[in-house]
Amino acid sequence: MLMEIKKELKFMLLNVKYNLAREMTNKITFLTNIIFMILNNASFIVEWIIFYSLKNNIGGYNFKDIILLWAIASGTYAICYIFFGAIQDLPKLIMDGKIDSFLVQPKNVLISILSSKTKVSALGDLIYGYVLIFIYGINIKNIILFTLFIITGGIVIASIAVIFSSLAFYITKADTITSSITSTMLNFDTYPDGIFKGIIKILFYTILPIGFSSYIPLHIIKSFNIVNFLIVIGYTILVVLIAFYIFYRGLKRYSSGNLMSARI
Amino acid sequence: MKKYLNIYKVTLINELQYISDIILGFLSFVVMIFIFLNLWNYMYDDPSSLIEGFSKSQMIWYVIITEMIWFGTRNKTLINQITDDIKSGSIAYTLNKPYSYAIYVIVKNFGEITIKFLFYLILAIAVGLIFVGPIDFNMSNILMLIPVFLLSFIINACIRIIISMLSFYVEDAAPFHWLYDKIILVIGTVFPIELFPKFLQPILKFTPIYVVNYGPSKLVIDFSMNSFFTILMAQILYLIFVIILLSLIYRKGVKKLNVNGD
Repeated sequence: MLMEIKKELKFMLLNVKYNLAREMTNKITFLTNIIFMILNNASFIVEWIIFYSLKNNIGGYNFKDIILLWAIASGTYAICYIFFGAIQDLPKLIMDGKIDSFLVQPKNVLISILSSKTKVSALGDLIYGYVLIFIYGINIKNIILFTLFIITGGIVIASIAVIFSSLAFYITKADTITSSITSTMLNFDTYPDGIFKGIIKILFYTILPIGFSSYIPLHIIKSFNIVNFLIVIGYTILVVLIAFYIFYRGLKRYSSGNLMSARI
Repeated sequence: MKKYLNIYKVTLINELQYISDIILGFLSFVVMIFIFLNLWNYMYDDPSSLIEGFSKSQMIWYVIITEMIWFGTRNKTLINQITDDIKSGSIAYTLNKPYSYAIYVIVKNFGEITIKFLFYLILAIAVGLIFVGPIDFNMSNILMLIPVFLLSFIINACIRIIISMLSFYVEDAAPFHWLYDKIILVIGTVFPIELFPKFLQPILKFTPIYVVNYGPSKLVIDFSMNSFFTILMAQILYLIFVIILLSLIYRKGVKKLNVNGD
């Protein structure tokens, strides 16, 4: 079992390596994508500077906490789209019956599909995340926890996207539903959870699990808590298993579009 | 002129097939409004207090209007189609057609966003009335708001086309669109210009934020004839500027076009 996971991870890393090599054939576009993504993310600082000029504490977060929240949000997004960059195409691939070429590979179908594409701009998100964690406070503990949590967060976001994308085996419009869910998660997880009340907080720990990908990790980095740490790790494993189960269950209903194509 | 009207009509009829997509997209709009509703509720300790002259309901209505403009006018044609046409070389097919490519794209864009914008307009009014309540608004101002909103859409479309036409020079114009998105979305939709530091406010009045987002939204929440004429004048000047820039970039860009026969 462990050997199998190791082999799949190695395969995924190789996929990412070749994806990046392919993208780097045009170096100017490659660099522009990364630099502009960093600038793009940095624009949000303006928004928060203005909010904090009006009030010192927003939803229990000071300005430094917002920096940490942004670091985690951009880091998790980066991991998701560097390693599982094809996640945004998954519903369309299923709906159009275009996953034949992945089915014949002697590797895990879901991992093969997800890692077949890398979003270059996500490298800009990753750099931005680490820049912010340096600004927040650089020490070994923060770097290790941050790295671990952006990996678990990236996996959580990808798994949720797989679960919703698998609706494409049963219904049309699954692409719109998946993109709405992922963009909703992204919109929420850059704002302090303290400003939200009531039922919405339940959503953060169920169908929009940014509580597990952003909010709990933030509180652990601020003040380490072993129980919360184990909850994040446990939830990540659970959501991955659910995503695999739902995808493979849906795959039994897959019908090919009979499109002859080659993956180069 | 008739040919452009026909392009508009055909695109509009075509868009009627995608109403379910528009409705599914409502989720993101409602989420954004929900976030800012919570945020501004938190920022106003006392609901009757004012921040830079804006009441809480005015501030939330401002966000609703700016987000409505953002969601209701966002269109892939302006962002992806032009870049794809340039990258694939298919823009060459339009060179010998009896219409201007730029006007064709603007008209097609309006055909695509008309229904979407009307849906978002209804949704925005409903969300505003349910969660914030009515604001002081004189219905007779609608006639003056129509040209301001139309000019806002045309200027936004021209700026998008200018950015997409950068594909004549760089392979991928998408990063420039991200930056424009963020200027409009982050700086332009969240709060009025009055909340920025005093030294930045005159500079922001020269940016697209003033004519695309701030102007129309400000007139909805706090109308005055003085600000109407100031905003309308700024929009007309901005439109002249972007049209000149667009024609310059297009003429120069087309000369750089290399088309591989296929």
